[in-house]
Amino acid sequence: MNHPVWDIPFLGSGWIIGLISIIHVSIAHLVVGAGIWLAVMERRAQAAADSELLAWLRRRAKALLWLSSIFGAGTGVGIWVAIGLVNPTATQHLIRAFVMGWAIEWVLFAGEMATLVVFVLAYHRLRPNQRVIVAWLYALCAWLSLVVINCIITFMLSPGQGWTTSHAMWDGFFNATYLPSLLLRSSVALALGGLWAQAGCPLEPSLRSRILRPSALFVGGGVLAAALSGWYYFQSFPVPARALVLGNLQGSTGLAQGFRWALFGLGAFLVPGLLALWARLSPATFRRPVALLGLLLACWGFGGFEWIREVARKPFVIREVMYSNGIRVDQVAGFQKEGFLAGNAWARAFAASKGDTDLARGEAIFRAQCLACHTREGYRSLRALTASNSPEDNMFIVQGLRELDPALNPYLDRMPPFAGTEQEAELVGKYLASLKTQ
Amino acid sequence: MQPPIPVPDPLLLPLPPGVLKALLTATFTLHLMAVNLAVGGTILLACHAMLGRSQDRELLRRLGPILPPALTFTITLGVAPLLFLQLLYGQFFYTASVLSAFPWLSVIFLLIGGYVLLYRFVGGGEKPRTFSGLLSALLLAGVGLMLVNVSTLSLRLDAWAAHAAASVHGLRMNHTDPTFWPRYLHMVASMVAVAGLFLAAWGAWRKVFFAQSAGLRWFIGATLSQLAWGPWLLLKQPAAVLEPLLAGTSGASLLLWGSLACGFLALFMAIPASQEGAQPRAVWPPLGLAGISVLGMILLRDQIRDLALGAFGFQVQTLPHRTDWFSTGLFALSLAGLVALLVLLLRWANQSVQGEERP
Repeated sequence: MNHPVWDIPFLGSGWIIGLISIIHVSIAHLVVGAGIWLAVMERRAQAAADSELLAWLRRRAKALLWLSSIFGAGTGVGIWVAIGLVNPTATQHLIRAFVMGWAIEWVLFAGEMATLVVFVLAYHRLRPNQRVIVAWLYALCAWLSLVVINCIITFMLSPGQGWTTSHAMWDGFFNATYLPSLLLRSSVALALGGLWAQAGCPLEPSLRSRILRPSALFVGGGVLAAALSGWYYFQSFPVPARALVLGNLQGSTGLAQGFRWALFGLGAFLVPGLLALWARLSPATFRRPVALLGLLLACWGFGGFEWIREVARKPFVIREVMYSNGIRVDQVAGFQKEGFLAGNAWARAFAASKGDTDLARGEAIFRAQCLACHTREGYRSLRALTASNSPEDNMFIVQGLRELDPALNPYLDRMPPFAGTEQEAELVGKYLASLKTQ
Repeated sequence: MQPPIPVPDPLLLPLPPGVLKALLTATFTLHLMAVNLAVGGTILLACHAMLGRSQDRELLRRLGPILPPALTFTITLGVAPLLFLQLLYGQFFYTASVLSAFPWLSVIFLLIGGYVLLYRFVGGGEKPRTFSGLLSALLLAGVGLMLVNVSTLSLRLDAWAAHAAASVHGLRMNHTDPTFWPRYLHMVASMVAVAGLFLAAWGAWRKVFFAQSAGLRWFIGATLSQLAWGPWLLLKQPAAVLEPLLAGTSGASLLLWGSLACGFLALFMAIPASQEGAQPRAVWPPLGLAGISVLGMILLRDQIRDLALGAFGFQVQTLPHRTDWFSTGLFALSLAGLVALLVLLLRWANQSVQGEERP
């Protein structure tokens, strides 16, 4: 890590991003689907001169504005804050690489909010055809915003050879996983949008079927398309990423358990598809709590997929470009030769603040290279993982992590190599040994 | 001792730094206007709700519904300057935010809490929910405090190592920085002053003298308080900033004294415009002058940042770039599309409807 390290005991900093992301990603996709659903339904209701449905749609649009502007935008800012705190080096690299993409996404986001605000607050001033146009413009801006952000998310998994040599934004934009991911995210958005409509369905029997039947098509179609495009997306993963996912389904490590939970989630994502059949065939008996349950299951499933995608990047934060601890692949050889402390001002500053002893220097390197994924005691605790090691074992293991040949370093498929000299590896080994007595 | 400045990212900027700085300043200006309207407006209307007279309640009833969308645009318009700031000054911004991580992270909760309470405040109907309004104003002003915290820390490179050593978990704020409190108080007073001007302008436009007078009194009071915060903030600047500001020959110095002159002139012109019998048109000259003063202060803020970082050898103009014409063109095209969309939406949203009362 080129920047100072945010040291969060027990939980680890990664979970801060995870917790905010789960909420934001669900809302962000939901509002895209709900926007398309709103535009379709507004048109249908106008064509049928259905004033009851139109009044309900207006209330739903108001709720969408609340959800989108308060919690969607709030957690969106939150993700940005969180990634900048947890991995500032990677965040800065991504911003440098895609600043114009982000700027375009900002324009689309501004358009999204402006159209939704006008649809809700100037509802009575808009003529019926203008309302439909504004609703479609909202849906378009929201979806295009996804089209742009999708590039940055997929770039991190599969930046491709083109970008790594040219560093040109468009070489990274349309990468190998871009299209499958866009299909998956659009499908999930439709499903979540439909579920959101069902979850807000009123009790009046006459209105229920007019809302539930079309919404069920969104949910059912979205779930089916998400299942197919999810499979396509997984097949497009880089080979090592796919191997990491499949390989980790075995065993009893924390990672394997996480993968199993994520897989349960993927199964849970299919349940709303079945519930959609119920809503379509028997809207009179379908109840709001069922839709809410479907919405929660779908969010769990999608969250599970996002977790798999995040973990599949290991040991990188940007595959083949930057390791999860913020050290670029092209920096490793230099740090192993010249020393990590010599090239990292913040690690030096931390060591100096603790008296510049061997232990302080070991801890400084440990913070910069290990805390991105581990904690001392807590999530992926290194005290627990090294509990049975002797001090020599620890030094030997960290020395081994310097190896860049996968045949000699079995951790290389999931853990960055140690980017420091042999002496620095010893310092980290000493620090790890000291955890036992702390 | 050399401060621990992170190594710059090796990727090139997609545009010359000067152009990116112009984008940063332009988008920050838009963001600040929305902040003044949303946060300053919430403070004002919460205070009027507390006063509870019939005219105060009328203000809340007519202007309250503007606040939540104004806050929506505050957030939306805040994204772009944050993006350009991270692009140009990322080494300093990220370092400061990590060193004060928990306070910086609290921005999310303050923002969401303030937003929910704002909806509650303005949605109270005939019975204003004053407490929600006051609490919302407090939380939203708290967001400003966190921004000032990171902004001031990002310029105090000499204090970084000690700050990091004092709190390895990022719990500490930069409150011991001599510029911290005057900068925050200066910012809050500016928000209230500009929101007062917005209120006065609305009063002049809609011929509501109470709003014109009340708005100008807010402006006068808040601007007078700057007589305390302004010199305090100025004199607490580090020598590398203070000397050019007082030298009288630098661009920063011209901006400072020019903005102050416009501000004072606006203050003196606002006093008669707030008195009984003043014409609505009397609002426009102080509004215009204050606008120039605010723009000058925004440019000055940028100059101060460069002076402060320049003392540690950082020159933003020297950052290497390779112009990405295609992406820039696409951004310009999308921006033009947004402007066209906003024009269309404003036209449609302002179509007259019979019997409707406008805010």
